[in-house]
Amino acid sequence: MRTFLHAGLLLTALIAPAAAEAATLSFQVRGPGGQPLPGAVVTVEVAGGAAAPVRGPYVMEQRDIQFQPHVLIVPVGASVSFPNRDRVRHHVYSFSRPKRLDLPLYGRDETHSVTFDQPGVVALGCNIHDAMSAFVFVTATPFVAQSGADGRVTLAQVPAGSATVRVWHPSIRARGNSMAQAFTVTAADLASTLTVR
Amino acid sequence: MRLQGFGRLRTRLLVLYAGLFAAALISLAAVAQTIIRQNAEEMVRAELAANGSVYDRLWALRTRSLKTSAAMLARDFGFRDAVASADEPTIRSALTNVRKRAGATEAFMVDMDGGASGTPGALADAVAAVPFALENGRSDAVVCVEGAAYRLVLSPIMAPMQIGWVVFAVKLDGAEMDMLERLSAIPLRATIVQRTAAGWRAADDHEIGGEEIDRLIEQSTHRRAMATLNLSSGRAFATAKPLAGVGPEPVAAILIRYPLIDALAPYRSLQIGIALAGLIGLLLVVLASRRLAQSIARPIAALDAAARALEEGTHSRVEVEGRDEIGRLAASFNRMADGIQDRENRISHLAFHDTLTGLPNRAYFRQALDQAIASGERNRHQVAVLCLDLDRFKDVNDTLGHPVGDALLQQLGRRLTGLSPDGMVARLGGDEFAIILSGQVDVDRPRALAQAIMDAMRQPLDADQHQIAGDVSIGIAVAPNDGSDADALMKSADLALYRAKQDGRGVFRFFEPELDAAARRRRQVELDLRDAIRLGHFELHYQPVLDLKNNRVGALEALLRWRHPERGLVLPSDFIGIAEDSGLIIAIGEWVLHEACREARRWPAHVRVAVNVSPLQFRNSGFPAIVMQALAASGLPPERLEIEITESVFLEGEEAVVALLHRLRSMGIRIALDDFGTGYSSLSYLRGFPFDKIKIDRSFVTDVARDAGSAAIVRAIVHLAKALGMDITAEGVEDAAQLSRLRGEGCDNIQGYLFSRPVSSSEVDALIGTRMEDAA
Repeated sequence: MRTFLHAGLLLTALIAPAAAEAATLSFQVRGPGGQPLPGAVVTVEVAGGAAAPVRGPYVMEQRDIQFQPHVLIVPVGASVSFPNRDRVRHHVYSFSRPKRLDLPLYGRDETHSVTFDQPGVVALGCNIHDAMSAFVFVTATPFVAQSGADGRVTLAQVPAGSATVRVWHPSIRARGNSMAQAFTVTAADLASTLTVR
Repeated sequence: MRLQGFGRLRTRLLVLYAGLFAAALISLAAVAQTIIRQNAEEMVRAELAANGSVYDRLWALRTRSLKTSAAMLARDFGFRDAVASADEPTIRSALTNVRKRAGATEAFMVDMDGGASGTPGALADAVAAVPFALENGRSDAVVCVEGAAYRLVLSPIMAPMQIGWVVFAVKLDGAEMDMLERLSAIPLRATIVQRTAAGWRAADDHEIGGEEIDRLIEQSTHRRAMATLNLSSGRAFATAKPLAGVGPEPVAAILIRYPLIDALAPYRSLQIGIALAGLIGLLLVVLASRRLAQSIARPIAALDAAARALEEGTHSRVEVEGRDEIGRLAASFNRMADGIQDRENRISHLAFHDTLTGLPNRAYFRQALDQAIASGERNRHQVAVLCLDLDRFKDVNDTLGHPVGDALLQQLGRRLTGLSPDGMVARLGGDEFAIILSGQVDVDRPRALAQAIMDAMRQPLDADQHQIAGDVSIGIAVAPNDGSDADALMKSADLALYRAKQDGRGVFRFFEPELDAAARRRRQVELDLRDAIRLGHFELHYQPVLDLKNNRVGALEALLRWRHPERGLVLPSDFIGIAEDSGLIIAIGEWVLHEACREARRWPAHVRVAVNVSPLQFRNSGFPAIVMQALAASGLPPERLEIEITESVFLEGEEAVVALLHRLRSMGIRIALDDFGTGYSSLSYLRGFPFDKIKIDRSFVTDVARDAGSAAIVRAIVHLAKALGMDITAEGVEDAAQLSRLRGEGCDNIQGYLFSRPVSSSEVDALIGTRMEDAA
């Protein structure tokens, strides 16, 4: 049964004239009820686009028995450190296909570093604290952003050409918690609404 | 037919009380039964409701337990690792492991793509779809696969995002229900029913099904409902727990039943107890009623019996118990019975005692004698009876009056009682007394007593201020020799008394067999007399009375002769006494009158016929009529009939006799006074009635020629008669000296052998023709 995996990405485009060969794309992500969906990661993959540069440092702290940040967007090949700021020990793991990791019990101010060399969403959990959850969003494209409180995302300098816009959010009931929509980036800026299911 | 026992008060009371109580008991038992049943049903409902809740909790507990197990697996790091890495063998082994531990029938892992790991099959296929079809928030459901119901419990596998579900499937079969049943406090039956096209059915219990159950489950979807099922195994209360399928609609339900028979089982002992208590109560009431009925009925029965005894003449009293109505009734009854007894005693005293002397009367005496004889027979004792008769008592009555006579009898009674303390003195009637000597009496005692009485009687009795010398005659008879029963003994004693009187009064005589023989002879004579009257064995002989003045036969005295067929000619002296005693004298006298008149009719007119009339005959009220008939039948003129009476006729009262004589005289009949000069001769008779003729007794005539005294008396009588204008006849003239003397004294008529003996009627005619001179 894959019914909810067929969910389509409703793309309402408002094409505006932009600079040649590049455009600024702005999206508003809305949930199934039409409300703005904050925290959603929107990526635009452009055919033949350059890989995202690794800058660093990428840190996924464990503080107050929480991962910090909840979603960490890193480029492929980035090395992420997992410093423990809590007094308790944590056991961070991930069974996600892009990066399986298992950082056995480590204590305060102990840091593990993990290199994410495959694109994809790596769901992090702590084997001790079930409530701890975080995602490392490993992206190959540099055009990536997370929606703010108003659900808005703005991507600049996106080269024209055929592209795929992809929305990821843990609440999306679809395979990989993401929905994708192919579209063409023109020189004109684009403002669009992405409604997920 | 009426039951005899029911006629008794006691039985009726018993039946009434016991019946009422039994009815009350039965009503109570019925009410109790109803209450018990209602109570049981209410209790069953309450228990069923409570147990329904318990079942819900058990169900929830089981669900939680399964969920916990499922969650534990879902959270296991290794399992999650295996699931995340799609390590199928590891997943399967982990599922198998935890399934056994959790007690689930099957365990599956369903991944986010809808693939199910675990034992493949229809169940696995069904399970794979469940997580996606299940409503939000639900983590369990019931599915029916291939006719079996399964409870599914889901637990998500989080890593930390959901990567699949652990699904436990528990088959809802008999074993699972048994577990539930065991956990219940009351004997419930739990059955799984499934929704089918035809309604709700149990897979393994064909009894279950029908509208009742459909309705029950439908109602139970919204709230707890209860119903009474009429199953083939009996009535049962039931409640149902619908089990939701994947959707909100139930696809199966747990039917919880409580058979009424089980519900009522705890009351069985109560019911038995009530029945037992009722029976014991009934028994007690029967016993108590019996006692009460007896206490009421017994005195009444006693009264009944006493009244019946009283009715039969037995004196009876009732024991008086208590002071209630029955007690008062008994007391009244006793007073009544005493009163009756008193009156009876008085009456029987009157019946058995002589009022004058207070002595036992003849009836009492008879009874006492019977008893004495019977007792004497048994004990070989003698019983003596003394019969007493006061001599000449009649004279006392006649001369001194009845009050004196009564006083005399009283005195005599007292004297006799005083003399015989060992005997019973009774007054049999008149001047007749009798004494019974019985028991251990000396052989000489009767004689001694008789002698003592004789001696005592020498002292005159003091009767009403008169000193009266009363001689008694006593006849004694002794049983068993003189008579074996009261009648015979009395007869013997009477005969002895008769003999004593014959022997000159004032003596006592023992009975002797000869007396009895004499009595028997008298009886035979009496019988023969009757025959004689009937067969005409009597004849009249005639003795002439010579008229000295006319020197011819002036009259003929008719004299009765009995020509007995065996004994020949019998003289009157041998049978007149018996004829008088037996009353036959009336009939004989009548015959004599008729015959004499008939004969006299053919005689010459100057010849009269003289007929002797006994006092008994004379006193007979029909006598004048007999005389009239005799005269009328013969045609004899009345003046030719001469009735001869003796002075003894006057003993019964002068006036009536005189009146009768006058009556006869007025008819023309002549009256002669016979045997004058003997007996109670009283000159007053001569003054009281003018006889036509006086006959001088032969005792004076016999000595008239030799004895101057006799001659003087004859002379005086003749003078007296002539002075009174009466004729004189001298009887018994046997020789010429007597005749000449009598003639000298002035006597008119003579009668005797000198002239003629009595002759038969055939010789009369010749006799009338003869003269005195011829005869002499």
